[in-house]
Amino acid sequence: MTLRAPGFPEQDVRVRATHGPAAIFPELTEYGTTLFGAVAESGDRLDSARLVPPSFMPRRLEKLIELGREPMYDAVDLTTSVGGFQSALPLYVSAFGSTRVASDDLGVAAARQAGRLGIPLVIGENVVPVNGYGRIDGATEKSLLARIRAYGEELGEHSGGVVVQQSTEDADAEVWNLVYSDPATQPLLDTGRLGLELKTGQGAKPGLGGMSVLDSTSAVADRFHVDTVFGTDEVLRCASPGTFTQEILRQQIRLMRNNYPRAKVWVKLPPARDVADAARTAWEAGADAVAVDGAEGGTGWAPTGFLAHVGLPLAECLRRLGESAGDLLVSGRMWEGTRVVKCLALGARAAGLGRAALLAADTDPVHGLENLVRCLELELRLLVSALGKYSAGAVSAEDLWWGDRAN
Amino acid sequence: MDSTPSSPREHLSSPVTRAVLRVQNAVLAATREFLSAQGFTELLPPVIGPVTDPGARGAKQVDVDYYGHRYKLMTSAILYKQASLTAFDRIFCIAPNVRLEPPETSTTARHLAEFHQIDVEIAGAGVGEAMDLAENLLPHVVKSVVTMPELVLLRRDVDTLNAVPNGAFGRRTHASVVTELHSLGHEQNPDGEIDWQAEVLLSSRATQPFFITSYPKGSRGFYDRESAENPGVLRNFDLIAPEGFGELCSGSEREHRYAEIVTRMRETGENPVKYGWYLDMVREGIPSSAGFGIGLERLTRYLCGLENVWQASAYPKLPGVASP
Repeated sequence: MTLRAPGFPEQDVRVRATHGPAAIFPELTEYGTTLFGAVAESGDRLDSARLVPPSFMPRRLEKLIELGREPMYDAVDLTTSVGGFQSALPLYVSAFGSTRVASDDLGVAAARQAGRLGIPLVIGENVVPVNGYGRIDGATEKSLLARIRAYGEELGEHSGGVVVQQSTEDADAEVWNLVYSDPATQPLLDTGRLGLELKTGQGAKPGLGGMSVLDSTSAVADRFHVDTVFGTDEVLRCASPGTFTQEILRQQIRLMRNNYPRAKVWVKLPPARDVADAARTAWEAGADAVAVDGAEGGTGWAPTGFLAHVGLPLAECLRRLGESAGDLLVSGRMWEGTRVVKCLALGARAAGLGRAALLAADTDPVHGLENLVRCLELELRLLVSALGKYSAGAVSAEDLWWGDRAN
Repeated sequence: MDSTPSSPREHLSSPVTRAVLRVQNAVLAATREFLSAQGFTELLPPVIGPVTDPGARGAKQVDVDYYGHRYKLMTSAILYKQASLTAFDRIFCIAPNVRLEPPETSTTARHLAEFHQIDVEIAGAGVGEAMDLAENLLPHVVKSVVTMPELVLLRRDVDTLNAVPNGAFGRRTHASVVTELHSLGHEQNPDGEIDWQAEVLLSSRATQPFFITSYPKGSRGFYDRESAENPGVLRNFDLIAPEGFGELCSGSEREHRYAEIVTRMRETGENPVKYGWYLDMVREGIPSSAGFGIGLERLTRYLCGLENVWQASAYPKLPGVASP
């Protein structure tokens, strides 16, 4: 007779008892085909907040006077500056990470469309160590430079910009030095449209670095911490989140400004409890933007416990950040207009599309991301004008209602 | 004078190049004579290693496949200079360096992707001792070349070289230089390296070589020692030539304490694990020291009064330009 334990997660215990440490991760079979990130069946606090238009709209009167007619939603100006770049919309494409999902042609497809849209694109973690660098083994279309080139080919004259991430391990491959000194990036530098993002963490795994599953014979295995937790030919490759103190963050940013004076400096922060201190430190050291990934964010492989229980939700990050001293960029479950407008109302300058951008490019590699963003654009115009406002930066906390839960 | 190198044959056989290389030869001989007399031992520096100096602004290092290990061509000898003090107290080397500088530096007239440094390191010395040595070495070298007929051929105005004093160069702090630049309407980042345009500006206004000291922490590599009395400020210096020739030399008192080096590595965005051999030595103890590196081609350019630093190289490599 089998032992029973009603009311206890009996089955979960049995899975762990059967498989050992591999069981703290999502199913291995989902790796490479599934985008991970915190799951909230009922939505999060941002989802539960409502946008609440007023009856009286002095800003609409201003617009009415300016136009000489009742302003419609097309009067909303969505152009903005995002981390030192002009952007057609208060949106950017955030880094996809090094998971197998993003390593295919999707990265290049998304880059090409982001360029056409004139919104900034962040190229992410470990692209160089995982996929090689384009300049040396020129053929690979998966590479960093292929994405930069694809973006640049479509880019208009004024808006947009490419931001290249570097994490602690990436520093060994000198990702930024490579990008900054490569002839292929000079047109972007010459037009002020190259940025570098210091990665100090991510939403899906606050406190951890990037994780991916590789074949144990993979060439990059020796450069990272490798764990044979699955007990198969596949191994868990772990990047380090890097050690940061306030002084380390400050000096790393100063060194970026010193070494790459023609590039914009972005800093990516995890949804940590001291996110406001870290953001202030970054802005004071001269960062052009601080990007915060809410605990709902991330595409990467992570222990299930982290996905569900670690890190501050985006709404709480925004509350702690309060009035920003610089450009605040946020990501985490962004795909439609209401969540973006709520974030703008809470002080963000722009919202980053991660999983949504990947899914859109996967749906239609040629126009999927453009179609998704056009939906967002129309929603943003409708929502912002409904609030009686006519620019992306004009929405504010007064436009939100939190129900009986004070934020 | 052309602003880009001609063909190797044309360049090497040009009377200008021959004159410049003879002066460079005399510079090396004078340097060796001076340092040897001061008790320095010349070491031959390594060309490749598992790790090299990360402190080069935005320049990519060159990777070398060393039996399957990722090795680097030296961007500077700094780590080996510190280590070498476990053999001798006073060392120098004429070190080749390769830095894949951003292509924009090809027009500064003072950047080469491949160049040499006169690298000096003194055990137990402070920053002042290193500056004293540099300001005595330079006049010795100047005197050794100033009467060479090659300078006449190169039409070098030797009055300015004869005006180089015997030591006691002017000393100005980075902070005071930033203030001056701001008063001149130049937007100099107070937390960073003196930028290239600013350096030319300062150098053009000077009639004698001078030191800029006490750079801020975010502008230099992890090995420049931070001041205990003045946190955030480094015990380091640059030697700037007059007449618009710009920086000749960088130096500092070195950080040699293990925990401080590891912390500073993080502050400069480095991953300590790749510095294994160096950190092992530091953990076991290396001497405190100070030292400097003089750019040989830049020094030659200054002494010969050349428009471009590439003219001081037999096989010049401008950043981003494929050449022999």
